[in-house]
Amino acid sequence: MDFANLGAQLNAGTILPEGVVILTLLVILVGDLIVGRTSSRWTPYVAIAGLVGSLTALFYQWDISDPIGFLGGFNSDALSIVFRGIIALSAAVTIPMAIRYIEQSGTSLAEFLVILLTATLGGMFLAGADELVMIFVSLETLSISSYLLTGYMKRDPRSNEAALKYLLIGAASSAIFLYGVSLLYGLSGGETNLNAIASNIVAQGSEPPIGLVIALVFVIAGIAFKIAAVPFHQWTPDVYEGSPTPVVAFLSVGSKAAGFALAIRLLVTAFPLVADEWRFVFTALAVLSMVLGNVVALAQTSMKRMLAYSSIGQAGFVMIGLIVGTDAGYASMVFYMLVYLFMNLGGFTCVILFSLRTGTDQISEYSGLYQKDPLLTLGLSVCLLSLGGIPPLAGFFGKLYLFWAGWQAGAYGLVLVGLVTSVISIYYYIRVVKMMVVKEPQEMSDAVKNYPEVRWTLPGMRPLQVSLVLAVVATSLAGILSNPLFTLANNSVTNTPLLQSSVAMTQDAGAPVQLADAEINQ
Amino acid sequence: MISQQFPWLTTLILFPILAALPIPVLPDRNGKVVRLYTLGVGLIEFALILYTFGCQYDLHHSGLQLSETYAWVPQLGLNWSVAADGLSMPLVILSGLVTTLSILASWRVTHKPRLYFTLLLLMYSAQVGVFLAQDILLFFLMWELELVPVYLLISIWGGQKRIYAATKFILYTAIGSVFILVAALAMAFYGDSFTFNLSELALKNYSLPFQVLAYIAFLIAFGVKLPIIPFHTWLPDAHSEAPAPISMILAGVLLKMAGYGLIRMNIEMLPDAHVYFAPILAGLGVINILYASLTAFAQDNLKRRLAYSSIAHMGFVLLGLAAFTTLGMSGAILQMISHGLIASVLFFLSGVTYERTHTLSMDKMGGLARSMPVVFTLFTAGALASLALPGMSGFVGELTVFLGMTTSSAYSVFFKSVILILAAGGVILSPIYLLSMLRRIFYGDPQAEFSMPSGSIDIRPRETFIAVCLIVPIIAIGVYPKLATQTYDAKTVEVANQVQNNLPLLAQTSPTFYSRILTSPQLTASKPDGLSAGLLE
Repeated sequence: MDFANLGAQLNAGTILPEGVVILTLLVILVGDLIVGRTSSRWTPYVAIAGLVGSLTALFYQWDISDPIGFLGGFNSDALSIVFRGIIALSAAVTIPMAIRYIEQSGTSLAEFLVILLTATLGGMFLAGADELVMIFVSLETLSISSYLLTGYMKRDPRSNEAALKYLLIGAASSAIFLYGVSLLYGLSGGETNLNAIASNIVAQGSEPPIGLVIALVFVIAGIAFKIAAVPFHQWTPDVYEGSPTPVVAFLSVGSKAAGFALAIRLLVTAFPLVADEWRFVFTALAVLSMVLGNVVALAQTSMKRMLAYSSIGQAGFVMIGLIVGTDAGYASMVFYMLVYLFMNLGGFTCVILFSLRTGTDQISEYSGLYQKDPLLTLGLSVCLLSLGGIPPLAGFFGKLYLFWAGWQAGAYGLVLVGLVTSVISIYYYIRVVKMMVVKEPQEMSDAVKNYPEVRWTLPGMRPLQVSLVLAVVATSLAGILSNPLFTLANNSVTNTPLLQSSVAMTQDAGAPVQLADAEINQ
Repeated sequence: MISQQFPWLTTLILFPILAALPIPVLPDRNGKVVRLYTLGVGLIEFALILYTFGCQYDLHHSGLQLSETYAWVPQLGLNWSVAADGLSMPLVILSGLVTTLSILASWRVTHKPRLYFTLLLLMYSAQVGVFLAQDILLFFLMWELELVPVYLLISIWGGQKRIYAATKFILYTAIGSVFILVAALAMAFYGDSFTFNLSELALKNYSLPFQVLAYIAFLIAFGVKLPIIPFHTWLPDAHSEAPAPISMILAGVLLKMAGYGLIRMNIEMLPDAHVYFAPILAGLGVINILYASLTAFAQDNLKRRLAYSSIAHMGFVLLGLAAFTTLGMSGAILQMISHGLIASVLFFLSGVTYERTHTLSMDKMGGLARSMPVVFTLFTAGALASLALPGMSGFVGELTVFLGMTTSSAYSVFFKSVILILAAGGVILSPIYLLSMLRRIFYGDPQAEFSMPSGSIDIRPRETFIAVCLIVPIIAIGVYPKLATQTYDAKTVEVANQVQNNLPLLAQTSPTFYSRILTSPQLTASKPDGLSAGLLE
C-alpha cells in the first residue's frame, strides 16, 4: 500500500475543524507555560478565535464530495457538520461567560480553557464517529474532561462533590455502554464499523438475535446518561448545582448535543433491525423526561437546579424528533438544538452575572431585580420565556416544529404530553420572571438590596456583556427570522445519506403495515 | 378590486409593536413623554384602522378583503396571511377604540410607565393580529402573544390578590390554547393536502367523528376565554384584580377573541359538528346567563360584580351562535360589540370611583351621588345600557339574539320555549343586580366610617371624554343598529346560510351518531323533534 493511496483513504481533511481546535489548544497550553499567569489576558480570545476558525472550516466542508475519513472511522456528513457546529459554537459562547467567573474564583484560566477545548474536541469527534472504538474514545475524551471541569473549583466542596458523583455515575454508565458495544462487536462477527455491523447482523438471518436487544439496552443506557434522560438523570441536578456555572452551561448544550448526535448515528446505523424496540424505549424515556423534568422543576428553589430539571424536560421534547424518525423529525431536532443553544446559554449567562454580583443563585433572591438591573432582567426574562415556548421568541418556533413533526408522523400521544408539560413549564419559568419584574421595591431580597452598581468596565465583564446581548438578540430574532435556520436544519438532514436511507426504510416499513391493517379490516 | 399595493393590514398589526421599540430609550422624566407618545401611537393606529376600513374596504362584499400572504416559515407551512371580512372588521375597530381609550385611561400610571405602555402596545398588536390572521398557526401565535403582557399587566399593576389572579389567568389560558394548537395540527394534517390557511382548511372534507373532536378542542380553548361556565373561574379574579384600564381591554376586547374564534373556527370550519353542538351551546349559554347573574348578586366587590355580569352577557353570544339563523348570528356579533363598549365603560368608571374612594367594596360606599354627580350619571347610563334598556345597544343585541332564537326553525317549540324562558329570566336578573349596585354605591347616606378623601373632585374632563366616547356609540347603535350591523351583515348571512344548509343534510345522513351525541339529559327529549322540524322545512 503506497502512501498516496493511504493518504487518499485517510482523507484527513475531514477533521480539519478538529485540527484547528487541537492547534488552538496547543497554542494556549504552550503559551501559558511560557508566559505564565499574565497569559489570561489573551488566551480566551485565542480560544474563541480558534473555535470560530473551526466553525469556518466546518462551513467550507458543507458540500464535501467524500465525507468518509480515516478508513471509515470518521464521517463528516452534513449531520455531523451541523452537530459539530453546535458543539463548537456552544464552547465559543461559553468562554466569554467563563472569563470573569474563573478570574473571580482565583483559579487558572488557561487550564480551564484547555480542558474545555478538549471536551469540545471529544464532542465534535463523537458527532462524526462512525466506528465503535472511535465512538468510545471520543465519548471518554468528552466525559473525562467534563469530570475535570465539574470539579474545577478545587476549594469548593460542592464542586468536588459534584465531580465525584458525576465521575462515579459516568464511569458506571461508560462501562455499561462499553459492554453493550462489545456485544455488538461479537454479534457482528468482529466488526467495529457501524455500517458493517448492521449489514453483518442482517446477513446472519432475518430474526434479530436476542443479544442485539441486550446490546441496545446497554447502549441506550450510556446515551441516556449523556443526554440526561429520565431515569438516567439523577446526576444532573447535583452536578448542575455544584459545578461552576459556565461548565454547566456547556454541559447542558454542548455535551447534550454530542449525546444526541451519537444517539442518531449509532441507533439509526447499527440497530435498523430493532428500530421499533429502540423507538419504544425512547418513547418511554421521552415521556418520563418531559413529565418528571417539568414537574420536579416546579418545586426547585435554586435557579441552577431548576435549570437542570428544565434541561431534562427540554431533552424530552427533543427526543420526539428522534422517535418519529422522519426528515422533519431529525430537522426539528437540529433546529431545536440550535435555538436551545442560544436561549439556554443566554439564561446561564444571566445566572452567572447575577451570582457574580450577589454570590447566590436562589430563585427568591432574584426578587425586585428589575429596579436594579434592567438589562439582566430583560435578558433572563427573554431566555426563560423562550425556553417556555412563548411567541414570538425562538423557543416557540423550535417547539412548534418538534410538535409539528411529531403530529405529522402520527405520534399524537407524545405531542399531547409535550404540549401539556410545556404549559407546566411556563409556570416555573414565569415564576422567575415574576420574581424579577413584579416585586415592589419594598419586597426586594437582601441580595438585590445590596446589589453592586453595574460596572461593565471590570476586567472580564465586557465579554460577558457581549455574550449576553448576543444570546438575547439571537433568542428574540431567531424565531421571527427563522427561515435560514430552518433551511440549514432541513438541508443537514436531506444531505445526509445515512438519514435518508433510514427515513426511506421507515416509510417502507410503514406501508406494509398499513396494507396489513387494511386487509384485516376487510 | 381594491388597491393591493399597500399592505394595510400588516401595517395595522405591526405598527404598535414597532412603535413600542423606542419606548425604553425615550428621554423621559416622571412618565409624561412616554404616555403622550403611546397615546399618539394609539391614535395613529386607530386612525389607520378607520382609514383602512373606511376607504379601502367594501362593505357589501362578504368574502375576505385586503388579503396579503407572505411565506414566513415555508418548512412549517406557516404563512403571514392576513385579511379582513365582516367578522373581523367590526372587532378590529372595537379593539382600536377600546385600547386607545384605555391608553388615555392609564394617564395616572406612574409606576414603571415604560414597561406598562410597552406591554399595552404589544397587546394592541396581538389583538388586531388575532382578528386579522387567516392562517391558523398565525392566529395561535397572536393568541399566545397576548398572554405574557396581560400576565405582567395584572401582576404588576393589579390589586391586592394580583399575583394569584395573574397566575390563574395565564394557566387557564395557556392550557386552553394548547387545544387550539392540537386542533390546528390535526386539521392541517387531515387528508391528503396540508395547509394552515383558514379558508383552505374550511374546504377540506372532515369525517364527522373528527369534526366532533376538533370542535370539542376548540370549544374548550374558546370556552376558557369566553368564558363558558365550568371554565370561568379565572375571569372574576383577573378582571377584578387588573387595573381599570386593563379590565377595560380584558372585558372589552379579549373576551371577544373567543367569540370570534367560535364563529371562525367552530361554525365556519366545522359546520357539521356545529349542528350537534348547537343545542349544547344554547344550554351552556342559558347556564352562563342564569348562573352568572345569580352569582353577581352575591358579590360585594364592585368589579367582581361587573365581571360576573360580563359572563352573563357572553351567554347571550352563545345563544345567538346556537340559533341557526341570520338574526341569531347577527345578534351574537352585535352583542359582542355592544358588550365590548358597555363593559369597557363600566370597568372604566369603576376605576374612576376606585381612584376616589380607594375601595371596591360596595358595603363601604354609599351616597356617592352627592359628591360625584357626573360619575353617577355616566355610571347609570352604562348600567342601564348593560341591563338592556331600549335605546341602548345592549337592548338591540339581546333582542336580536332572542328574535334569532325564536325564529329558528331548527329547534322544537318546547326546546325553544324552555331556553327562551330561562334566558328571559336572566334579563330580569340583570336589572336587579345592576340597579342594586347603583343603589349601594350612589344612593342613601354616606357610610359613617367611610369618608371621601378630602380634596377629591367629581370627574376630570379627560375621564368624562373617555366615558362619553364609549357611551355615544352605545346610544348610537341602540337608536340606529344598522350602524353596526351593516359592517358585518354580508358575512353573517353567508355563515348562517352555510350552517342552515348543513342542518337537514346531516340529520338525514347520520341519524345514529346524532342521537348518540345528544344524550345530555336536559336536551334529549326536545332534540329529535327539533331536528325533524329542521328536516321537514
